[in-house]
Amino acid sequence: MYNYPKLQRIAKFTGAGISFAGLLLVLISPLFSTEYFPYVLIIEPLTYAGLIVLLLGSIIILSAYILPRFIGVKNSAGIDRGTIEQWSIITQRYFELFHHDLGRPLSRILGKERELRASLPITDEDSSGTLDLLDEIERQVPNFRLMMSNIQALVQLELPTPSSEIQPVEPESIIRKIVDRYAPVAKESGKEITWWSEPSSFGVVPSNSAAIEHIVTNLVDNTIRYADKHIEICLSKNENTFDVRVRDDGPGIEEPYQKLIFERGWTPEIGRGEEKTSSGLGLFIAHTLATGHGGKLSVQSENHSDDSYTEFTLRMPLVRN
Amino acid sequence: MATETKQGLILVIDDEWESPIVKHMCRKLEEEGWSTECVDLGDAHKTGDNYESFALYAIEDSNPDGVLLDVRFGEHKDDQFKGLEILQKIVRLYPKLPVLMFTQYAQGPEREIAVKGTLQWNSPVDFIDKLAGADEVILRLRRLIGDTPASMSLGDHISLDINNKVVYVKSNDGNQNLIDDINGIKFEILRELATTWYKSPAELVPFSRLERYFEGEEARASLRVRIREIKDSLGKSMGVRFGANDLIMNIRDQGYRLSPPENS
Repeated sequence: MYNYPKLQRIAKFTGAGISFAGLLLVLISPLFSTEYFPYVLIIEPLTYAGLIVLLLGSIIILSAYILPRFIGVKNSAGIDRGTIEQWSIITQRYFELFHHDLGRPLSRILGKERELRASLPITDEDSSGTLDLLDEIERQVPNFRLMMSNIQALVQLELPTPSSEIQPVEPESIIRKIVDRYAPVAKESGKEITWWSEPSSFGVVPSNSAAIEHIVTNLVDNTIRYADKHIEICLSKNENTFDVRVRDDGPGIEEPYQKLIFERGWTPEIGRGEEKTSSGLGLFIAHTLATGHGGKLSVQSENHSDDSYTEFTLRMPLVRN
Repeated sequence: MATETKQGLILVIDDEWESPIVKHMCRKLEEEGWSTECVDLGDAHKTGDNYESFALYAIEDSNPDGVLLDVRFGEHKDDQFKGLEILQKIVRLYPKLPVLMFTQYAQGPEREIAVKGTLQWNSPVDFIDKLAGADEVILRLRRLIGDTPASMSLGDHISLDINNKVVYVKSNDGNQNLIDDINGIKFEILRELATTWYKSPAELVPFSRLERYFEGEEARASLRVRIREIKDSLGKSMGVRFGANDLIMNIRDQGYRLSPPENS
């Protein structure tokens, strides 16, 4: 079984080394070629040799990229790269159709729900049951939106070469959008979100906005479940990184479980031997995305004192061209 | 969230403009003080090209303050991303017109990035998914359009008249009572907090922005005193006493945040 990424890396480095040697030969040939070699066909033989070595190195580098597509290099599960990419594309297309088919009726249900809510008298006791139902529909909408976006992230994580588009990003704007969506959810359960940035005008950083939005959305969604009263989101910047800290004043996470929090499918209920209330995918996806984009997601928690808390810190590199 | 102030015109370009979700959103925008106009093709064929022509004509004719634009127009595959074509034309013809685009996750962040890449960095264009609540849409529009209205309602009781620099509190009988001891620096502090709250309700206003109204080393202490006075003045006229975490909250020694009372 081939270890495709390792082989490719070795081939790339070898090719680069040979190319470099060839280039060196070409460059140094004028220094002593006239002394040791007679001129042949206008250029001295050392230059020829250098050019051939350079060409050989370039071929090796190119082969490292092109060959696996033709010879069907396989991954550890014995599936070739082309097939994986094909599957990912098919899954992505299937997901798009699925989302479209599901999104349309859901937006109709939501529209009807919002119209009905507007027509119901708020103080009418007879309509309190209906209002409860409408509240429940509205409460589930952010869950649905996150679920759809998590499925999309999982599909993209399957890709052998996940895209990491770097563009100017305004982290403050991303946090504002997430808080717009989740503040009403928090308020519904008697909790409050506050956010700020240090410095107060954060500006633009080179990064991947979709990844940051996805990671922080999962963190905020998770935090709202466990917070007691307050959720704080703080954005800060260092020389080479920027941080997003998401903190709640909930009961905290017991120390042995802190290292499991980013495991796929793990939820705090597992530690307590209770039935799971969520899929346990959100933090796994957030952690995988952070790592995949050269960042780091960590957790700090205190669950022994009256000041118990959980704080997630996303640290992303400030990518420079 | 209602501000009850005349705000301008929002043009809605969506082939589903008669659907309950779009109608509900238009109604909420109107409650906010905006007027809305939907692009209606009448008897014309419901094609993407027709929507494009009617939309561009409506922008020229009505001169809206902002546009809500859908991505997908109908089921024909040529019109699947017609909204993006319309967006490009709007941006080229009216580069300062704020446009909020409705997307779906499947149309996704990658596509959003691709579209943004073709726009100028500071184009007033933003994207929101169609399942977003009306309040989310309103906040996005407020930020895109950028203006702060001349008067703002902070919750159900307090209102600020920015031009005349006065604060009113609505009494139980519906009368607006002028709070004349919130003026000068105290009004400026409240205005600063209210302006941030209007566009981003959960956002904290850092000390640095509030302390500029004071001089000397005791700026923070002076700020604290003024905040207390504002809370007392408003509380007195509403018949309540605002505690440390009511109305204006001090967050972890970072700054203050407005949290207007509702239905108290």
